[in-house]
Amino acid sequence: MSDKITRRNFLKIAGAGAAISAVLTGCGPMSRYIVRRPYTEMPEYNQTGLNTYYASTCRECAAGCGIIVRTKEGRAITIEGNPQHPLNRGRLCARGITAQQGLYNPDRVFGPIFQARGDTGRQARTTWDEAIPVVSEALKSPAGQIAFLLGTAPDHLFDLVTEWTRSIGAPAPLRYSALASFEGRSTLQEAANRTFGKPALPYFDLANAEVVFSFGANFLETWLSPVSYSAAYGDMRQARPTRRGYLVAFEARQSLTAGNADEWIPIKPGSEGLVALALARLVAEARGEAAPAAARSIDPAAAAEAAGIEPAKLTDLARLFAASEHSLAIPGGGAIGQHEGLAIAQAILQLNVQVNNLGLPGGVYLTNTEQPTTSLAEVYNLVQKMNNSQVKVLFIHGANPVFELPKVLGFEEALAKVPLVISFATFPDETAMLSDYVLPDHSPLESFGYQRMLAAADRPVYSSIQPVVAPLYDTRATADVLLTAAAAAGSPLPYTDEVDFVQQMIVPLISAGGFYTAPEIQTFWSRWLQYGGWWVTEQALDTDISAASERPAAFSGPATLEEDKQFYLVVFPTQLGDGAGANRPWLQEMPDPMTTLTWNTWVEINPETADKLGIHDDDVVRVTTPYGALEASVYRYPAIRPDTIAIPFGQGHTALGRWAEGRGANPAALLPAAVNEAGDLAYNDVVASIALTGKRRPLARVESREGVYGEH
Amino acid sequence: MKLKKPWWNQPGMQIATVLVTLIIVGGIVGGIFLTQTSPEQPIAFPHNRHVGIGASCLYCHTGATLGPSAGLPGIEKCWGCHQQVQKQSPELTKLAGYVERNEAIPWVPVAIQPDFVHFKHSLHVNAGLQCSACHGDLTKMTVAEPQKGQNMGWCLQCHKNSAPEQWTKLSDCATCHY
Amino acid sequence: MAEVSKGIAEKWGLVVDQDRCTGCNACVVACSMENNVPFTGEDNVAFGRGTYWIYNKRMWEGNYPEVAPAFQPVMCQQCGSAPCEPVCPTFAAVHSEEEQINLQIYNRCIGTRYCANNCPYHARQFNFEDPNIPEPMNSYLNPDVTVRRRGVMEKCTFCVQRIVAGRQTASAEDRSLRDGEVMPACVAACPSGALVFGDLSDPNSRVSQMAQNERQYKLMDELGTRPKVTYLKGGGRNGG
Repeated sequence: MSDKITRRNFLKIAGAGAAISAVLTGCGPMSRYIVRRPYTEMPEYNQTGLNTYYASTCRECAAGCGIIVRTKEGRAITIEGNPQHPLNRGRLCARGITAQQGLYNPDRVFGPIFQARGDTGRQARTTWDEAIPVVSEALKSPAGQIAFLLGTAPDHLFDLVTEWTRSIGAPAPLRYSALASFEGRSTLQEAANRTFGKPALPYFDLANAEVVFSFGANFLETWLSPVSYSAAYGDMRQARPTRRGYLVAFEARQSLTAGNADEWIPIKPGSEGLVALALARLVAEARGEAAPAAARSIDPAAAAEAAGIEPAKLTDLARLFAASEHSLAIPGGGAIGQHEGLAIAQAILQLNVQVNNLGLPGGVYLTNTEQPTTSLAEVYNLVQKMNNSQVKVLFIHGANPVFELPKVLGFEEALAKVPLVISFATFPDETAMLSDYVLPDHSPLESFGYQRMLAAADRPVYSSIQPVVAPLYDTRATADVLLTAAAAAGSPLPYTDEVDFVQQMIVPLISAGGFYTAPEIQTFWSRWLQYGGWWVTEQALDTDISAASERPAAFSGPATLEEDKQFYLVVFPTQLGDGAGANRPWLQEMPDPMTTLTWNTWVEINPETADKLGIHDDDVVRVTTPYGALEASVYRYPAIRPDTIAIPFGQGHTALGRWAEGRGANPAALLPAAVNEAGDLAYNDVVASIALTGKRRPLARVESREGVYGEH
Repeated sequence: MKLKKPWWNQPGMQIATVLVTLIIVGGIVGGIFLTQTSPEQPIAFPHNRHVGIGASCLYCHTGATLGPSAGLPGIEKCWGCHQQVQKQSPELTKLAGYVERNEAIPWVPVAIQPDFVHFKHSLHVNAGLQCSACHGDLTKMTVAEPQKGQNMGWCLQCHKNSAPEQWTKLSDCATCHY
Repeated sequence: MAEVSKGIAEKWGLVVDQDRCTGCNACVVACSMENNVPFTGEDNVAFGRGTYWIYNKRMWEGNYPEVAPAFQPVMCQQCGSAPCEPVCPTFAAVHSEEEQINLQIYNRCIGTRYCANNCPYHARQFNFEDPNIPEPMNSYLNPDVTVRRRGVMEKCTFCVQRIVAGRQTASAEDRSLRDGEVMPACVAACPSGALVFGDLSDPNSRVSQMAQNERQYKLMDELGTRPKVTYLKGGGRNGG
């Protein structure tokens, strides 16, 4: 009895205490004593409580969307698209919107670190005064033995390093990102070169197209420039009063783009080339023309059968494609990231030639931009050189090759053979952990620079990057570090610092006919920062394209499988991009659009197949390919071929901070080191097997709150 | 045989009850007291003297006409005058110390709203409201003192009296709470 | 204060064009970053405690191979006759006469969750935990929006902080709001232009025009909630 009463009394006291603290905190005075640190010298354009906006460029992927960052009292609050920017016109995707979670991430590298190669116990903070002589000493190495591995952003650093390596005769810097590899950029460019005779990235005018065939191009989520293609997609659907655009997607695993398509044609991975040729022949027949040389020998019915679809369907689609005035065929990463990827890309581009849409609204144009990645084949050469101890110094910026490259390539082992590895990473990622020095660059929102290679820009654009907040930590711009060190090493470049370099690079733009100009660089510079870059007002695409001579192609078709034992493996990038997005908690928490899954890696398998194999939702399976294996939970995904499984890329980090580490699995372990003719990763014709492990690990899905699929 | 006292008559229980009541009452009184006193400031700024010599409120609290926050002056503002108008006083020595160290003065805001109230100075000042309507007569204060009874009813009373024709808008929850 | 003298209450409305919507979820993240919606972690999401003021309802339609998802972004429908309002014992769920939207007054809310139970749209979210945003990541929190503690119900507000700010800017410049001047975070972000926001009381506003579209429907209109959000059916297979 007395026990009970004591407890009741205790509850009373606790309740009263809670009430008091509510009174105290709720009514204000407690928040008085949150220490306020006013500016000692407030910038005159700044006012407490009012917004200050800065125009800059998103560096979360290579697309280069213009952003406007709203800041308050020196803090970056929200990021929105720059309405004037010709690429994204005020729109932005989830990755750009969460960029502050990178800036304010508690797991950043706080200052220069010296570490005894991966031995985190022995890592020690160093100072810039000690670090820069190390860099400058490294830059004095024999020119042939210096290697730079850069990411797809920012472009100004690439330009600077290129200029420096050229000045001393060192190999040009390589640029790599897993995302670019999944997108098949090099293949696309080379295919355009072979088809149209110009090595430029094609621009697909989706907005004005009426019938669009997408071959594995997930342009609504990750491919090339998802924001501008999403805008174009919206216009294709609803901007014309007369006709609603019709989208057909050919791919084995329904991506977001295929999910939004009017028709999803689940062809086998590896059959894209056959399907494209069959379509070419059927389209020619429908238009009453002679079939192109490459397609003359193809049997459409046999091709359809090889692809696992109905021949009649193919005929219907070919008629549709042939009948429309604005037809467009897009070769995407899924289709061209294969052994025969280059020929496949050519075959798909050839469909555009057939319907004469080159350089016309709703058709294919060529951009004036370079593409920002070197092919994977060149990265392989670098690994080879590293293995042969021909690389003395390796500088890494903006890329995380230990995580991103196929494991079978052995980058990690090769890295161990390089005497000096210097990483400029902002985050302690897998590669930075295996470097001798981590000399952190500013985060993108603290940096100057520009992006100029915008894959989906329809005109010349230089998109400016400027700091929106003062650097939070003891970081230093990599361009500044390299300029200082190069000067000390006796191979200086004619620039005092990063800003000077950027200014000198944009001097030619003053008279290049953009939408503003200025009498001299300082005025031009302030407008450049104010507008978020420089561009011309008119669309300026290369319309002068014609088909070069075509070459006959033959495709081996999809691999044959042992039924229910072997599966085609589709590895696809998600909102986490090349994996660098995994430490943004809101990108992790954002449901994957198609599966509504969060915070993990999953294996997608058709429910029909899963039933046959006795696999249930959330069962952990072991996926094995000739190159490696991983374990992950199953998600029964209704929109995938029964003979295909799919795994998202981006998770499975062993470093990169609290939100990324130890979460999911990295499918880089499953990928081959093979490249196609253009040097892009041939990742989409891998055959895998799966086995139950007997374990179960539930996946955090958002759909269950709605019970979309009924019982489970 | 001694009859066992009921539990509420046990001496220990009574003492405990008294103690608990005291703690609760003390907590409440203390809490209310805290909301009604001036917090300790890094520099005991004499408002009365500054207002007395004719300094406008907006000279230091520049944000009042522009945005939500009236703002607190930084060392540049103080030193702008006091570099010339220098009189020896312990408070000014403190100011000189902040200036020397180039350090912000950690003023403690007095008239502060809870986080779920979004008060905007500019709207009120630009509508012609005097500062003293809410902050009291600063000519009679050294450091700023919190004003009594500034609760939501007080806000609404003023909204009702000063602009009855806009009552729908001025009584809308979303005007201040979001 | 010109808009009040006109004597017409503003009625904010949102149009969701499902034919443009790709389901990319940029709106979800934009909303969360603007409104200080906390991320909750894997376990909470698995328990159904993830907080999304706007979520993309993905419904599979058809069977393989004719299967396709239909995407429907669902946020608070700002009902004219809201089921959540009468059940709140503390009047935390109230109707705004001025903006004609539903409000959630956090300091009144005691977390009974009656409103969420009565909301047919799953639009209301409950804070099961205090936001766990370690320093310095809390630096990006938007000072214009209250950070809610645990035990408080919350929901989409049509970014009322932006509406109020826009209204105040306009009245300071002695003009009425321009169409499209105020955009909630989701509308501003939407890459495909599927979301349009504006004043429904102005027949010439873009949102009023679009709400007349023949493809229009309201979510669970039969319940008589009189939602302010209008959906336009997707074409083709998806919900056509």
